[in-house]
Amino acid sequence: MLTVSVKWQKKVFEGIEIDVTLPPYVFKAQLYDLTGVPPERQKIMVKGGLLKDDADWSAIGVKDGQKLMMMGTADEIVKAPEKAIVFAEDLPEEEQATNLGYSAGLVNLGNTCYMNSTVQCLKSVPELKSALSNYSLAGRSNDVDQTSHMLTVATRELFGDLDRSVNAVSPTQFWMTLRKKFPQFSQLQNGMHMQQDAEECWTQLLYTLSQSLKAPASSEDSDAVKALFGVNLRSRVHCQESGEESSETESVYSLKCHISHEVNHLHEGLKHGLKGELEKTSPALGRTAVYLKESLIDSLPRYLTVQFVRFFWKRETNQKAKILRKVDYPLELDIFDLCSEDLRKKLEAPRQKLRDEEGKKLGLQPKSSSKDIDVKMTDAEAPSSNEGGESSTAGQQEGASSSSEKGTHMTGIYDLVTVLTHKGRSADSGHYVAWVKQESGKWIQYDDSHPSIQREEDITKLSGGGDWHMAYIIMYKARFVSM
Amino acid sequence: MAPGPDPNSVGDGAKRDEATTKVPSKDPKKKDDKKEEDLSEEDLQLKQNLELYVERVQDPNPELQKAALESMRQEIRASTSSMTSVPKPLKFLRPHYGTLKEFHKNMAESDLKKLLADILSVLALTMSAEGERESLGYRLTGSEGDIGSWGHEYVRNLAGEIAEEYTVRQGEESSIEDLMDLVQQIVAFHMKHNAETEAVDLLMDVEDLDLLLEHVDRTNFRRTCNYLTSAAKYLPGPDDMLVLDIAYMIYIKFEEYPNALQIALFLDNMQYVKQVFTSCTDLLRKKQFCYMISRHGITFELDPEMVENDVDREMLQDIVNNTKLSEGYLTLARDIEVMEAKTPEDIYKAHLLDGRASSGPSADSARQNLAATFVNAFVNAGFGQDKLMTVPSDSTSGSAGNWLFKNKEHGKTSAAASLGMILLWDVDAGLTHLDKYFHTNDNPIIAGALLGVGIVNCGIKNDCDPALALLGEYIDKEDSSVRIGAIMGLGIAYAGSQNDQIKSSLSPILNDAKAPLDVIAFAALSLGMIYVGSCNEEVAQSIIFALMDRSEAELGEALTRFLPLGLGLLYLGKQESVEATAEVSKTFNEKIRKYCDMTLLSCAYAGTGNVLKVQDLLAQCGEHLEKGDNHQGPAVLGLAMVAMSEELGLDMAIRSLERVLQYGEQNVRRAVPLALGLLCISNPKVTVMDTLSRLSHDTDSEVAMSAIISLGLIGAGTNNARIAGMLRNLSSYYYKDASLLFCVRIAQGLVHMGKGLLTLSPFHSERLLLSPTALAGIVTLLHACLDMKSIILGKYHYVLYFLVLAMQPRMMLTVDENLKPISVPVRVGQAVDVVGQAGRPKTITGFQTHSTPVLLAAGERAELATDKYIPLSPILEGFIILKENPDYREE
Repeated sequence: MLTVSVKWQKKVFEGIEIDVTLPPYVFKAQLYDLTGVPPERQKIMVKGGLLKDDADWSAIGVKDGQKLMMMGTADEIVKAPEKAIVFAEDLPEEEQATNLGYSAGLVNLGNTCYMNSTVQCLKSVPELKSALSNYSLAGRSNDVDQTSHMLTVATRELFGDLDRSVNAVSPTQFWMTLRKKFPQFSQLQNGMHMQQDAEECWTQLLYTLSQSLKAPASSEDSDAVKALFGVNLRSRVHCQESGEESSETESVYSLKCHISHEVNHLHEGLKHGLKGELEKTSPALGRTAVYLKESLIDSLPRYLTVQFVRFFWKRETNQKAKILRKVDYPLELDIFDLCSEDLRKKLEAPRQKLRDEEGKKLGLQPKSSSKDIDVKMTDAEAPSSNEGGESSTAGQQEGASSSSEKGTHMTGIYDLVTVLTHKGRSADSGHYVAWVKQESGKWIQYDDSHPSIQREEDITKLSGGGDWHMAYIIMYKARFVSM
Repeated sequence: MAPGPDPNSVGDGAKRDEATTKVPSKDPKKKDDKKEEDLSEEDLQLKQNLELYVERVQDPNPELQKAALESMRQEIRASTSSMTSVPKPLKFLRPHYGTLKEFHKNMAESDLKKLLADILSVLALTMSAEGERESLGYRLTGSEGDIGSWGHEYVRNLAGEIAEEYTVRQGEESSIEDLMDLVQQIVAFHMKHNAETEAVDLLMDVEDLDLLLEHVDRTNFRRTCNYLTSAAKYLPGPDDMLVLDIAYMIYIKFEEYPNALQIALFLDNMQYVKQVFTSCTDLLRKKQFCYMISRHGITFELDPEMVENDVDREMLQDIVNNTKLSEGYLTLARDIEVMEAKTPEDIYKAHLLDGRASSGPSADSARQNLAATFVNAFVNAGFGQDKLMTVPSDSTSGSAGNWLFKNKEHGKTSAAASLGMILLWDVDAGLTHLDKYFHTNDNPIIAGALLGVGIVNCGIKNDCDPALALLGEYIDKEDSSVRIGAIMGLGIAYAGSQNDQIKSSLSPILNDAKAPLDVIAFAALSLGMIYVGSCNEEVAQSIIFALMDRSEAELGEALTRFLPLGLGLLYLGKQESVEATAEVSKTFNEKIRKYCDMTLLSCAYAGTGNVLKVQDLLAQCGEHLEKGDNHQGPAVLGLAMVAMSEELGLDMAIRSLERVLQYGEQNVRRAVPLALGLLCISNPKVTVMDTLSRLSHDTDSEVAMSAIISLGLIGAGTNNARIAGMLRNLSSYYYKDASLLFCVRIAQGLVHMGKGLLTLSPFHSERLLLSPTALAGIVTLLHACLDMKSIILGKYHYVLYFLVLAMQPRMMLTVDENLKPISVPVRVGQAVDVVGQAGRPKTITGFQTHSTPVLLAAGERAELATDKYIPLSPILEGFIILKENPDYREE
């Protein structure tokens, strides 16, 4: 009979007796009583290794009063989680790409940065992507010519490639079809393709898409591109000489921001751009006269595109010269005061709602009951105004994407999503770069094949006034409010 | 032996003085003529007197001669007190030196001749031509009077000439007895006059340091020994050992046991260590010795001869076995209030990077999770708690299990092993936590648990040998990952122990034809660690055979480098002992031959500062090789290993590496950051930091990776804000490159290692002692980093855990006589080199006063700020036992 002490975890059990005639398993059973560790999980360190269940005590040479150490727990054994964890490294390449949080860049095929940046900007519009994916190869309607069809398909393919790939994509196919459709982009200079104006590329591409994405056999309203980007303007054309006045409506894909000496801010430029003079034959005077044209926005697009009119044709140098003037633009644009009376009315209720929501967020809970009533009243008004405009605005909204929920309303407030910048002194030279906001809120600069993360502060610094990249075409996304 | 091998030696200085004083003698005429005109009356008088004496000396009348000589002596003695300028009597006597010499030659043997010889000896101080040693010559024929009576400068000059004469006579093999008499006198004189350094220099020159023992006394032995130990660093070959031997004997003579023990440990002489224990009778002091041994990390068994009482011995052995290390470390952590566990995110501090990492990837990245595992392990090392692995397992098998499974395949090994790191040094708790992982059937997890057991036991010895008992079972398992886990665990747990039982179970693996290469590589490495610096023949043989058995293809594998490294570790710091094995290595396959050669050389001379070896290695780095040769990597690392021991050599090595960086081949450049990391480990020097920061953006990604890891190494355990900032920026710079980002994460973990309480420096005790196991751990990691892609970024990332061997708290913890922590005020400041300085200079500068326990950064020193206690060791690092001062009076 031996007496030993056993150390287990931080406890020491003194005076445990070992009956050397019985196998160690009995000893383990003793310890089980003390520690609650089942014998099969007990590990007892003796000289030369672990104590085996059937070992011979005399061979082990345990001395009286010796300290033994036991290891073992009654804890549950670790089990692998039932659902295996998926690691980023195991994912197929396309999922890794989404994992990255932004898509790949585009290889510059020789002065094609104007095209690359345009594609990157347009690609950031998910509704356009989904519209393109609905466009079927076979579904070419008769009124779309072959080249437009091919360009549309090429655009769809390119968007798909960009989403799938981790590395930069080479837009060869797209470029070929683009040049086929618009031969002006094939201009050569010293055997190289020339740099082109990104605005031209943007406009032409959108126009083509709008043509081909028109759903066959349906009304004008189902023009997906128009629904997304189209701005309806109602203009009052006024001739000062004759006092004639007429109104006309037109639909444009982008607003122009004219840059003159007084313009320091986008808002001023837009206002400037909506006012214009034109000469036309006055039926009253019987000759050409100067007409003043004042436009107001009649319906809002989901994506508001603004082009800074930075280039003008300089006869002396025979090139498009650039205005370097700094024009600030906000990350959040409110175009309420550029809207027509009708539209303003429609916007009022959603805007009130938005303000309330923001107020709530900031902790400015509506304190008095009067405010509540206020809200209710506007609420009550809203449906009526909404009904009136359903045919024009709401219809367009819904047409743009079937997924858009009912009951979401435009607010006239827009958030900046893409900036296409130009660096250099003329439109046909220099370098174009796209800056795109991701859904995660991160800004990515797509400099051809090199996407890189940027800070939001830096985006507003692209407003010009130097030789740094400056905004040329910017795109805002409408902020909706659900009611 | 050339006189004055030490650039700092005063012998040299004396010679320089001598040279400058001799300058005027080149054209004495001209100068004298000019001087004569503007001599003051006093001087003129003196001059005339001296001229008169010179004349009289040549007088045939012995009476007159004697009187003249006496007066001349009087004049000289009265003025030799200072040597800032040539004393006037000597100056005026200069024109007559020749005449006197001539006269002396023709003089008959007599007392007067001796007297004249004395004077000539002094005159020769400024007048004899270099190399003539006339001063010594006349001294030997002179009257042998009190040597000090002619002033210090005379003695110094004489000492210099003796050294020269000694060399000459050694060459001619003639007797040196007459010289030794003089040496005796000079040494006695120097030792009495606070010129210990000069005495030591002279004795080193004449190779008779034993004489020192007779002349040291209580007042000057400390300064003498200080000089001896620091001079030893610059001495070649066996001389340094000799010098340290003497220092040891002096310390023993004056019962300065802690210092004696330090030197005994430096010499790796267990006999001396034992002697320290047997000579000392005070139990409390013995406890302090045990703490010192435990910090050095060697395995040491106390026997009854050293400590008679069984109970006492057991207690002391417990200290040597480091069983209380965890407790002390946690005391420090609680005092500094850093117990709160930190998550990897707390370290990354992604929020400081503007908006970049704000939205992480949606899926778990195995590589990033692995990095987080390591960061978590390093940062919470030894604290016993963290937020990933040890979270209470109440929520259905615990989130610990969850995190474990967030690592992929071999990643799980590192994750399970990280538990060992978190519970470092706390064997009981560690084994409890790890136990549950032994019962799964997932091999990588079992491997990790085994490795974890090894890590928990790192530096801790336990009577029950739990690590051996547990791991021994798994060495011969089927699965190679489990085997590697067990083998590596044993290597870490028993590093330096020279355990025969492990040897007998690991050696067969080396020569097992069926064993896979990785198992063999790790077995060789573990054996190298267990027998580090032992020069064990058997182990060496096994590894050599294993190397010879490798096929051509296997020799090209990245892991094969661990075989020569294991071999090299056996000879770590053992200098010439490696030669036989190095000879054998020349017969290896040419693919590995050079690699082996470099590894052996660098390991054998690691920490010696041997300049010749540094030059050898530099020459290797300078060559431009054909593709495929890979031995330059270890050569560059070797450079750092050899030069790392003392400050001067270290600075020189850093400069040499800058050159290598500019002119070297790519494979050399890749190793340079690692070498810099080793030189400044846990010592973030700004210049090195800048160099590494520059290299971390290198176009060669491997250079960049090494530089990033090295940034982690130099900042290891310092929480250095500058490095942390650099790494944070690098993490956003490399956010897309998974491999580089992994390195950045590891480096971040290293910088915040132990939340800033740990150090990786293998040096301790005021940079005197080099812990062999610690160095072995670091060197292993660095060798693994030479091929980052296939080892650390491959599936052997757990080699990072080898760093645990070097991890030590950088603390000073004061304990009372019952070994309970007590808080006392201490001053902590930058250490000042006081070797050879006059008086009692301050040992620290720019200090601040803290209460213990305190952290000591690299190059810092502590001193007690109270007289209430007396520390039992003069080196205030680690655990310090305080004794109450009986003479203390409360004010």
